[in-house]
Amino acid sequence: MTLVTDDGEAPAQPESEQHPQPGGVSLAITDEQVIKMKELVQRILREPFTKRPWSELAFWLVSGALAIVSLAVVAATMVAGVWLIITFVGLIIIALSLRIARGVGRWQRALAHNFLDETIEEPGPFARRPGFFGWLQSALRDRVAWRSAAYLALKLPWTLLGVYVAFSLWWDAFVGILNPIFSHGDGGSGPMWGLMQNIFLPNGISGDGGSFGHTLGLFILGLLALFAAPWVMHGFVTVDKLLIRTLLGPDPVAARVRSLEQARTTTVDASAATLRRIERDLHDGTQAQLVALAMRLGMAKEKLESTEDVDLDRVRELVDEAHRGAKEAITELRDIARGIHPPALDIGLEGALSTLASRSAIPTELNFDVRARPTPAIEAIAYYCVAELLANVAQHAQASRATVSCAQQGTWLRLVVRDDGRGGAHLSTVGSTSSGLFGLTERVRTVDGRLDLVSPPGGPTVVTVDLPLAA
Amino acid sequence: MTTGALRVAIAEDSAILRDGLVQLLVDRGFTITGAVAEPAALRSSVAQNPPDVAVIDIRMPPTFTDEGLRLALELRAKHEGLGILLFSQYIETRYAADLLADDAAGIGYLLKDRVADVSDFVEALERVAIGGTALDPEVVTQLIGATRRSDTLSALTPREREVLALMAEGRSNGAIGQALVVSEGAVEKHVANIFTKLDLPVSDQDHRRVLAVLRFLES
Repeated sequence: MTLVTDDGEAPAQPESEQHPQPGGVSLAITDEQVIKMKELVQRILREPFTKRPWSELAFWLVSGALAIVSLAVVAATMVAGVWLIITFVGLIIIALSLRIARGVGRWQRALAHNFLDETIEEPGPFARRPGFFGWLQSALRDRVAWRSAAYLALKLPWTLLGVYVAFSLWWDAFVGILNPIFSHGDGGSGPMWGLMQNIFLPNGISGDGGSFGHTLGLFILGLLALFAAPWVMHGFVTVDKLLIRTLLGPDPVAARVRSLEQARTTTVDASAATLRRIERDLHDGTQAQLVALAMRLGMAKEKLESTEDVDLDRVRELVDEAHRGAKEAITELRDIARGIHPPALDIGLEGALSTLASRSAIPTELNFDVRARPTPAIEAIAYYCVAELLANVAQHAQASRATVSCAQQGTWLRLVVRDDGRGGAHLSTVGSTSSGLFGLTERVRTVDGRLDLVSPPGGPTVVTVDLPLAA
Repeated sequence: MTTGALRVAIAEDSAILRDGLVQLLVDRGFTITGAVAEPAALRSSVAQNPPDVAVIDIRMPPTFTDEGLRLALELRAKHEGLGILLFSQYIETRYAADLLADDAAGIGYLLKDRVADVSDFVEALERVAIGGTALDPEVVTQLIGATRRSDTLSALTPREREVLALMAEGRSNGAIGQALVVSEGAVEKHVANIFTKLDLPVSDQDHRRVLAVLRFLES
């Protein structure tokens, strides 16, 4: 029973407490709203006298004119090319047309940059293949050019509509405001004029041309147009900017291809570097070890074969050294083999990571929560990340303990290596401390993963590595 | 084994191998004038205490590429009569060509593996020390491989090629005879044929041998 009454009372209490609050809050909001309204009005009033609407207008006129002329050229050549396509000359004409379209795209980007401060990243350069037919093929297949042509085709109607609506508003403002000075005619003549007349001056306009009321009405309409025009223009320009970004910017597919190409280069470089390291290890370590071993055995053999008295002590010494060398060579070979592929991974990532954690010089705790088994490549990268990160912790962090967590998040594997050391690690490409981290970042990037480092001076350092489960 | 007091300097960055070489050469009665791990140290060691022959590893610090080779060329230019035995885990034909560019006398180029056959190695070292040549069979094989299509040697019979290859390694007629299991006289006949076919003038025999080898390497 008490419980029920408690429950009954519970909602009542907060309600009574909340009552005064909403009032206060809504009052505050009103204040804010008032300030915002003021700001908005100020903004609207100031807008025609700032730089932006004028540069947008200039952009509209210049880029519109360019679009009209260039679309005429591109469309004409394109049509001619299609007409002549059967004679092969048509293909060349289409290719030339596309080359023009690409160039126009560049100009449009430059206009957007100069007038609108809109910097569009350059799409990839024209990848020309050798020979005339190579040129023809690459020109016809140039996605950037086709997108540029598509932009022109969309830009033309949009430009005309913009001129029809927004530019005529400017014109109306101009005519309406200057009407009192010249005081003749019906004021503005643009298409928006009639609309505005109908909305704002349903009756006044039909009065006598030249009457005071009429002139005042026109003047007010002109003012309205003056303050409305920047925003309408801005709307048109915003849509155009969107078109420019999507059609004249880097092709998302091409950008993806480029990033994949970069990743591939990194992979190839990384594997070349790995091979070089292995070769160096074999050359400096095992091979030298084996040569020395063979040399000692050779000396021992010659001593045993000699006709004079055999110096058995010396022979024993040589064989002993050779034996020691052989054992060292075996150890070195095992280490090198482990560097190529950690055998621990054969028993799965968890086992491999727990081996790493237990072998680490700093006490390390492992939390492992991965249900799906990642592909071998991902397991290997995860393993090397943890190995490298723990080695970094041991070498540089002056930490007393570290934790490694490896968890599955959807189709991703998230590795977090955390230590309580002095921090201050960074990802620059120089310096011995960070070059390892940079190498890891590159390695992780090859599978579209990412590595984040948070290491404020004084610690703690947290490195987060996200890897796709399959790659 | 009339080596006695042959003086040897060693430049080899692997400590195991360096120590092993010193041990082996001291065991065989050579005098070690210096055993160092990097090019600069050998340069000063040779200047202070000139050896008869320098054993030089090709890959040494700092870049582990061809430091040893460049050092060898430099030392040869500076110290006349200094024998150079280049010592490497790989045979690069280009290195051999660089090394033998002007004169094959007092030059050796051996795989490190050859130290396993102690006597052969010591023999090669002695040959280089007294101005002879010692090329690794591997070098010779590669050079023959590289020159198979050239015209200069096409006149030689397979047997003569074998003899020439052994000459290129720096062996004497007697040693060649042993290697091919023929009499020394037969070898001399082959050598004479080679000289004729390669159009080498009759003069001092050893000189002609070197010329033949050079012709062989150049082709």
